[in-house]
Amino acid sequence: MKGAHILLIGAALLAAMAPAPTNWDWALPAGIALPSVPADNPMSAAKVAMGRRLFHDADLSIDGTMSCATCHSQRHGFADDNRTRPGVDGSPGRRNVPGLVNIAWATPLTWADPRLTTLEAQMLVPVLGDHPVEMGMKGKEAEIARRLSADACYGKMFIAAFPESRGRIDMANIARAVAAFERTMISFDTPFDKAGRGGAPLSAQAQRGAKIFFGEAGCAACHSGVNFTDYRFHRLAASIDPGPNEVSGRPDDLNLFRTPGLRNVALTAPYLHDGSAATLADALRAHGVKAVKIGQVTDIIAFLETLTDASFVADRRYAYPEAACPS
Amino acid sequence: MASKTLLLAVLLTAISASTATMAQAPATPACTTPVTLPAELSGWSPRSPLAAASSLAGLASATIVPGAAIDAALQPTPAMQYLMRPEKPGGSVSYGGLFAFTVPTAGTYRVALDSGAWLDVLADGKPVTSSAHGHGPDCSGIRKMVDFPLAAGPHVLQIAANGKPSLVVLVTRLP
Repeated sequence: MKGAHILLIGAALLAAMAPAPTNWDWALPAGIALPSVPADNPMSAAKVAMGRRLFHDADLSIDGTMSCATCHSQRHGFADDNRTRPGVDGSPGRRNVPGLVNIAWATPLTWADPRLTTLEAQMLVPVLGDHPVEMGMKGKEAEIARRLSADACYGKMFIAAFPESRGRIDMANIARAVAAFERTMISFDTPFDKAGRGGAPLSAQAQRGAKIFFGEAGCAACHSGVNFTDYRFHRLAASIDPGPNEVSGRPDDLNLFRTPGLRNVALTAPYLHDGSAATLADALRAHGVKAVKIGQVTDIIAFLETLTDASFVADRRYAYPEAACPS
Repeated sequence: MASKTLLLAVLLTAISASTATMAQAPATPACTTPVTLPAELSGWSPRSPLAAASSLAGLASATIVPGAAIDAALQPTPAMQYLMRPEKPGGSVSYGGLFAFTVPTAGTYRVALDSGAWLDVLADGKPVTSSAHGHGPDCSGIRKMVDFPLAAGPHVLQIAANGKPSLVVLVTRLP
């Protein structure tokens, strides 16, 4: 990301992270800590509803063809089935589209930019960024405001979501609303989760895979915690992509990439920062899991498939709204 | 892997409403010589102009003949009254359109576009689930192709989220 204007807007959004307000029902299972929420962007139903609409609105791209949901496809765990996605102008993408789930807890957020620590700041990158061009709106913030202002429904929704600014339609509030919606993309209802809560046990193969995953294969050294990521940067192999070195200039940051979470991973192929692993087996091989025998690879994959939350990817609360204006 | 493949196949098939994900163009190759298209795409050119309908009422005058490509003039998205809401309807500055076409004999038919626009094929007002999708041959100008198993009879092609008011469209039967 090169656009200084993105950083400026992002910096304005970088409020101190605070404990989540108690008036929002996160509906979390026991043992899951509340996510942090920026103090200047408390959760509200009106904000989430508008963020949902904005997430699916292609008017956030220069020619009206690309929304957040174009690349973050629900059926693919809010990832994309291409190695990388060309931008709205056809320019090639740089990195694989990550899935979106439980990102309320994620920080930093992307493959290789440790500066992006809030959803509010990250949301601006695909819209306004030019490295690469994704939605192509760099310098067109006023055009976005014009388009949304022309829609009477959005006018009402912005007022309901941001009464403190009398419904101001600008990039900061757009980012806040989308971030609020994204914080509701929560999943703790996979077969793995259910088994952990005393539900149906995993298959014998998946159990063998879990034992290998958490044991001899060492996967859980990085794919740790409830979201199967340590949110830290690691180097798998040399790459033409400099990774965080691109923004830090530090030699030690060369070719590092942030550990991706593994929830819904069976739906988010292809894998790795460049999408170069077409299958989970390819991704495992790319990790150099040499000690794992072929049969164990299928066992690990059977375990990874238990991290798919079928109800999450079919949940209409995250889909394109049936009606533009909520009644 | 077999179970994983099956799981993915089932999920993708079950969730897909009617068409495949928006196919993406790879890096543009250097095109120095005309490409020879396979027989099923030979109707890609020459083309005839045709204005898209914006609603059911205008469909009769927006009829595509399978095998013959058109240079479509699309409608602004805010003017569109789709028969079924597209999964990717496009923003207010994008373009869409409706076209009618009649399938003479049942078979697999391919819709080819020169853009990555969203498309649905409807039969009796219901979406037909696509059977395959991909890119066109390099240097052909065909960016997106989606295949549908179609029965004989009338169908509607819905186009949504196109970035330009013009679009090349070919509906063609596969061998």
